[in-house]
Amino acid sequence: MAGESQGGSRMRAYVAVWLGLLAIVAVEVGLTVAHVPAGTLVGALLVLAVVEATIALLYFMHLKYERRLFWALIPALVFVLVLMDHFWPDALRLMHQRLPGP
Amino acid sequence: MGQTAITMGATHGPGIEASPFGIPSRKLAVWLFIVADAATFGAILFAYGYLRVANPDWTRPFTVWPTVANGVAMTVVLLTSSVTMLGAVLAAEQGRKPAALRWLAATMGLGLLFAALHLREWLHMIGDGWGLFRNPLGGPVLFGATFFGITGLHLLHVVSGVAVMAAIAVGFRRGRLDAGHVEATGLYWHFVDLVWMFVFPLVYLMNVR
Repeated sequence: MAGESQGGSRMRAYVAVWLGLLAIVAVEVGLTVAHVPAGTLVGALLVLAVVEATIALLYFMHLKYERRLFWALIPALVFVLVLMDHFWPDALRLMHQRLPGP
Repeated sequence: MGQTAITMGATHGPGIEASPFGIPSRKLAVWLFIVADAATFGAILFAYGYLRVANPDWTRPFTVWPTVANGVAMTVVLLTSSVTMLGAVLAAEQGRKPAALRWLAATMGLGLLFAALHLREWLHMIGDGWGLFRNPLGGPVLFGATFFGITGLHLLHVVSGVAVMAAIAVGFRRGRLDAGHVEATGLYWHFVDLVWMFVFPLVYLMNVR
């Protein structure tokens, strides 16, 4: 019985996290509908997506309670993803080389 | 079975070295898979970003209605399925088998609903002339290639997750599998949800006219 009560409080916490995630999705859609400039929009969407993912990792996937696992896995993944950023200068170079439209 | 009991299961028995992170091997294996898969999705999304930035006249075919509305519905369905999955894990840990199976069934139902909404959108787009190498609006064909490639890989993960969940549910009902298996499956399912948190804004919202 005590276990079920504890489970109920954990479930309520999960529902609160779920509502928070839905609120972030609403902000993302709101920014899109408001036709924010593309550069600002992609920056805002990326920040919001990272916040969402962090919340999911910590609360849904319980990394908040497994610190050793967190430090063993996540920094390595972030390092790999940061390494992938090295091609942006080339993409931006190509963007600035676009020919003017007819 | 509580979290402590599951963690204690990480000791593999006398004479065998304990798990380095104090968790069962199957859970560690799922985490390693998740990290590898995250790098895969990361690489694909980075490649999409490169193409998106570097290509002139990138086609932005989506409108708020119906595409974004459908995408929001898919997002709500997938986020909700994460909560039902957490319900399954909690019930399984507490030994409430019927409740765990009901939560798992709800999660599978939501996963199938997500896939159905996704396929309906695909069929609608294919009907409009979109394809892997076709752009009915006359711009570069890369939008179709990246859109169907990224969302297709994610959809494959969703369908695979539902199939795995069905197998786990059968094994759990028969007593062959325990709460640790349900938890490991839950980790995978939350990861599928987590990937969508990047796919939806970058592939859908960034391509709204």
